[in-house]
Amino acid sequence: MATTSSASEVAVKEEGSCQYDKQTLVAVLQFLRKHNLKGTESLLKEEAKVSEDDLKTEEDKKTEVSQALAAVYKSDDDPSLFEDLYQDLKTFIDSCLDVHKVELATILYPVFVHMYLELVFNGHQWNASQFYSRFWQDQDEHRHEDLARLTSVRQKEHMVGSDNQLLESFKTSKFILRMSRDSYTHLKRHLQEKRLSPLLTIVQDHLFIDVFDGVPRTQQQIQASGGGLIGEVDRDANKAKVLFGLLREPDVQIALDDEEEGGDGDEKPKKKKSKKDPLLMKKSKNDPNAPAPTRIPLPELKDQDHKDKALAFREAKKRAKLDHNHLPSICFYTFVNAFHGVTCVDISDDSSLLVAGFSDGNLRVWSLTPQKLREMKAADDLEIIDKEADDVMERIFDDRTASDFKTLSGHKGPVYSASISPDRAYLLSASEDGTVRLWSLQIWTNLVCYKGHNFPVWDVRFSPHGYYFVSASHDRTARVWATDHHQPIRIFAGHLSDVDCCCFHPNSNYVATGSSDNSVRLWDMLNGSCVRVMTGHKSAVHCLQFSPDGRFLASGGADSQVLIWDLGTGTMVAQLSAHTNTVYDLCFSREGTMLASGGLDDSIRVWDMQKIMAEQDTEADPSVPSNITINDSPSLLLGSYFTKSTSVLGLHFTRRNLLLASGPFEAPS
Amino acid sequence: MAGTQGIDRVQIAGSQLVNVMGGQFEFVMASDKESRVASVLPSESVKVIAESVGVSGLADEASSFLAEDISYRLKLIIQEAEKLRQHSKRKKLTCSDFDSALQMKNIEPVYGVSNREGYVPFRHASGGGREIYFTEEKEVDLHSVMGDSTPKIPVDVSLRAHWLCIDGIQPSLPENPPPATKELQKQEILDTSLKQTAGPNRLGQKRSHPDSSGKHKHSHHQKHKDLVKLKNLATHELSVEQQYYYKEITESCVGPDEQKRAEALQSLQQDPGLHQMLPRFVAFAAEGVKINVVQNNLALLIYLMRMVKSLLDNQTVYLDKYLHDLLPAVTTCVVSRQLCLRPDMDNHWALRDFAARLVAQICRNYSNNTNNVQARITKKFSKAIQSEKVALSTQYGALAGLGELGTEVVKSSLLPYICMLGDRMKYVNEGSALNSIDKIAAEHIKKQLIKYLPPVLKSFHNSSESVEEFNVAYGYLGPFLYSMFLQKEKGLTSAGAMQTLATPARSTLQLSQRPAQIVIQQPAPSTPGTPHQSSFLTGTPSFQRTSSISSMSNPSTPTGVSGAQKFVIVSQGRSSSSISSTPAASNSLMKMVGPSQSQGVAPGVGPGAGQKIVLIQGAATVKSDDSAATPGNQVRTSILTSSQSAVGSTATSSSNISGKETL
Repeated sequence: MATTSSASEVAVKEEGSCQYDKQTLVAVLQFLRKHNLKGTESLLKEEAKVSEDDLKTEEDKKTEVSQALAAVYKSDDDPSLFEDLYQDLKTFIDSCLDVHKVELATILYPVFVHMYLELVFNGHQWNASQFYSRFWQDQDEHRHEDLARLTSVRQKEHMVGSDNQLLESFKTSKFILRMSRDSYTHLKRHLQEKRLSPLLTIVQDHLFIDVFDGVPRTQQQIQASGGGLIGEVDRDANKAKVLFGLLREPDVQIALDDEEEGGDGDEKPKKKKSKKDPLLMKKSKNDPNAPAPTRIPLPELKDQDHKDKALAFREAKKRAKLDHNHLPSICFYTFVNAFHGVTCVDISDDSSLLVAGFSDGNLRVWSLTPQKLREMKAADDLEIIDKEADDVMERIFDDRTASDFKTLSGHKGPVYSASISPDRAYLLSASEDGTVRLWSLQIWTNLVCYKGHNFPVWDVRFSPHGYYFVSASHDRTARVWATDHHQPIRIFAGHLSDVDCCCFHPNSNYVATGSSDNSVRLWDMLNGSCVRVMTGHKSAVHCLQFSPDGRFLASGGADSQVLIWDLGTGTMVAQLSAHTNTVYDLCFSREGTMLASGGLDDSIRVWDMQKIMAEQDTEADPSVPSNITINDSPSLLLGSYFTKSTSVLGLHFTRRNLLLASGPFEAPS
Repeated sequence: MAGTQGIDRVQIAGSQLVNVMGGQFEFVMASDKESRVASVLPSESVKVIAESVGVSGLADEASSFLAEDISYRLKLIIQEAEKLRQHSKRKKLTCSDFDSALQMKNIEPVYGVSNREGYVPFRHASGGGREIYFTEEKEVDLHSVMGDSTPKIPVDVSLRAHWLCIDGIQPSLPENPPPATKELQKQEILDTSLKQTAGPNRLGQKRSHPDSSGKHKHSHHQKHKDLVKLKNLATHELSVEQQYYYKEITESCVGPDEQKRAEALQSLQQDPGLHQMLPRFVAFAAEGVKINVVQNNLALLIYLMRMVKSLLDNQTVYLDKYLHDLLPAVTTCVVSRQLCLRPDMDNHWALRDFAARLVAQICRNYSNNTNNVQARITKKFSKAIQSEKVALSTQYGALAGLGELGTEVVKSSLLPYICMLGDRMKYVNEGSALNSIDKIAAEHIKKQLIKYLPPVLKSFHNSSESVEEFNVAYGYLGPFLYSMFLQKEKGLTSAGAMQTLATPARSTLQLSQRPAQIVIQQPAPSTPGTPHQSSFLTGTPSFQRTSSISSMSNPSTPTGVSGAQKFVIVSQGRSSSSISSTPAASNSLMKMVGPSQSQGVAPGVGPGAGQKIVLIQGAATVKSDDSAATPGNQVRTSILTSSQSAVGSTATSSSNISGKETL
């Protein structure tokens, strides 16, 4: 592989290896100590020159941290006071002017949570449940799920330890709120009047109020951006510049295309068309937002890739135009007799292959074209093939192995995600068993098993340029891998809960992740930093998709919403709500004028992206949250197409803009 | 040691919990608001589990502490299991989710517990104030396992493609859901507000045939949306396929080929996508009735009614919008003066009964407080009963219509007018003009009365009442009803058996009937006569007759439609197709039975097998029990002429009562 040498530069930097060894040693020593193997321990200590201090600090650190966390909630306040205080805060907020009221009301939820936790921690169980049952209904509807989890915490003992992820998030992170200066002054004045009350302590200890100058936000704006596990995003999080433009396509390809066109004979009309084509326009111009092509080393194109590109380009010429007057056609692939087995679906970029993952750990690949799936010939037979022949790619396959579908077995838990490489040679799958596996679609066997996540891997996606892939896991990290490395080359940590989905930016420089902490993050491949944090989902995010021009990101989740984000500013552009159950897949039409979404409510909805882009207010200053307008007009929904009883797990626009959808049929009980 | 075992038990308890919840857990967190207060395992359970692993005498405090802690851990695990469910993209939590969640927490999962879809492996039993969940383990007989043929291997997963939508329009394919579900159709009717023209409403989808210009109505509407709120015009353009379908169906429905008709009717009854074509079909039926009533084409009317029946039986269409067309047509077939060319011979009674049942079905399904269909229908029928001028056949129909609507309707709308009906029949029977058609009609009316009245009478009278009281209450028909009533009272066993035997199809109808669904407010029927106690059977000549008429039978239509198309022919159950084939026979038989003639009809005469029911009137020579006990209700005909010792006023009516039923 020619690509390897250039790409390996991005691989793990070796500088941290020394630190790494030490950590391993300490871990080993701790293990020895735990199992009372004193002889070996002292021997190893001597040999590795690890001092007692090193060991101690590790342990001490841990205890210190947990003590600190515990102390956070320690207070001697009268438990019966809390109810009155909360009620008092509520009355104060109600008495405010309407403009401030909505902003101030956001403070109620974190105060409620922390008051409850404080009551529980100090052993006032009865007061806590009283407090809870009196006020829980005041909280927003979408918070009820988290609150239900919160009530399971009933004793101090439950708060120690770190197995409750929700609790941990509340303990360790400050709840972020944004409000206008006016509202903040109101609140400050009120809190200062009650100087001695524990309310002030809670606000100081657990809340981070990000104050902005400007008009207070409206109810809709607050509603739209709220919902994160620990509130909103502070203003500094989205300051970094994101190079969301597309990479320049290699010149070779266009030259190839011209040749093809010349061969076709009727040059004139096609050239006209190609000028109109927005994608072609982009290519000729130099996009100021585009990253340098070498920012991330990308694999070099092979001959086969050039051919594919040319083919794709020709196909794209025949693309059907889609807008609100021209709705798409949908071809639905239904899995029958699946018995709840199908857990994920992916369709290759050229729409020739469909892969489904099953809960029994198997994968199955179908051919969607008359071309059957064939296996490569055995090594001995390959020897005899003339390597200079034009149809060598055809000759290497064994026609006797042709079948409509092939099964791949290897995982020992449900397969949660599968992704076909852009060149259709490889397949990635992520499973509950904590591994990601790479399969060859030519010899139909497992090539690599990537072990790194120790917990179920929820999602895996190839980069649009191949070679790299990203995986998302229950361990709250997303990792970027290169297919030829068994270790991840980037680990993105920062989400407060499971990372449920991930997606590569079309220019392969960024990775977006969605999480159960209700936020969407964008990470830079170059340095692994988090460049965007976007809140607005009210529940776990289950699917992500970048628009073809790279500027927008669409996300869908368990709150049945589809949200559109502008990556330039990190703000929400549109809020699309029509689904009635979890949204599991999204797909942009090839030219980006339409977005299709599908999910558990047995329907596919088609949305007007053109309108969203046209109506987007680009003039507004994104630094003032109240300036942001969110488009939630019902007219953005162009169509709803229901299946009989088939949930929609996979969506894919072919190069000619035919929408393919897939899902398992479940007989209604 | 006991500790680890305890944990095992807790896990089992946990998986039990999740299994029990399995069925209902679906989005419990999001929806269930009542049970929001945190629940905790009862400490008794902890004690029981402790005992089962050999820890006895657990202190109360300890067990309640454990219960608290276990509940907390369980909830944590269930939260994790929820995540696994979400990622498996399922709607239901399963045992395997719970096992995986345990694994994620580094705990050994509980093996051997699994559930299939929607199946909770724990059974619930309660008794003695205790509720227990337990696993049911059936004993398996190894011999039978070895001996039985191997069960079928489940079908492998396969992939099927279909068009969900073409250029934004969903084609009517079996793979696609019906364009509008019944609920939505209903909503659409009840929804009086202006419709949003744009997308979200599922019904808002235009069904227009994709035309070449590519201009959809959709965009057209959108253009105007902001200016005026337009109510959608319901366009009824049908695609070419739909037009073809319509043509095929309607032709088959009224054509000569019974096989094709059966298929067409079945299609009407079962196809989910008829919503679009409903107006056409309904119009077809309504127009057809209008024409064929004038032409007295009984066969076609029957075909049309069967068509209506199929539409009514279709679970996916909502006919409320078309009642204005449908009801008049069906009602016409119930009460029209004349439905056939030869009213004396043709069996238009069956059609009336059938249509009457359709009316009842419509009332049951579509009557509501807004349209008051049932009240209006009842009023109409009741008026026909009261009228002096209408034809007897109309009255017959009205009677059937009222009868089908249920006992409450009979009680309030029919019973008070029995006297008038009686007078009418008396006039027919005793009147100078001997009109055979009227006589036959009167005959049938009596049969109808026998069919519908007994249950009602029973609630009004008790067995000690005498015939005079009935005479007072019901006039001319008094004695007849009295005998019927006695029959009912006395022969609950035998006659009752006969009755039930005779009404197998009927019973299903009554079951589905909503009891006492009365919308009309009418004064309660005046209690006939003053009820006073009189000794049973004292000095009064007893009229004994067998309860006779098999009110309904279920002949298989000769064409073998039976299964799908239950066309039930009422009373003289000649199947529709035999209408023209046997008139001669029945006619002659009718004539044979004269007022003073005694003629035995040999058993076995008459077309087809079935029941021939006996009507006996006259002196108390034959006990009802005897005739009722006719062995096996086999073919038997006996005519007992009324003796000259006329019995009260019924002397002349005897001939009318006796009759012959061919089934």
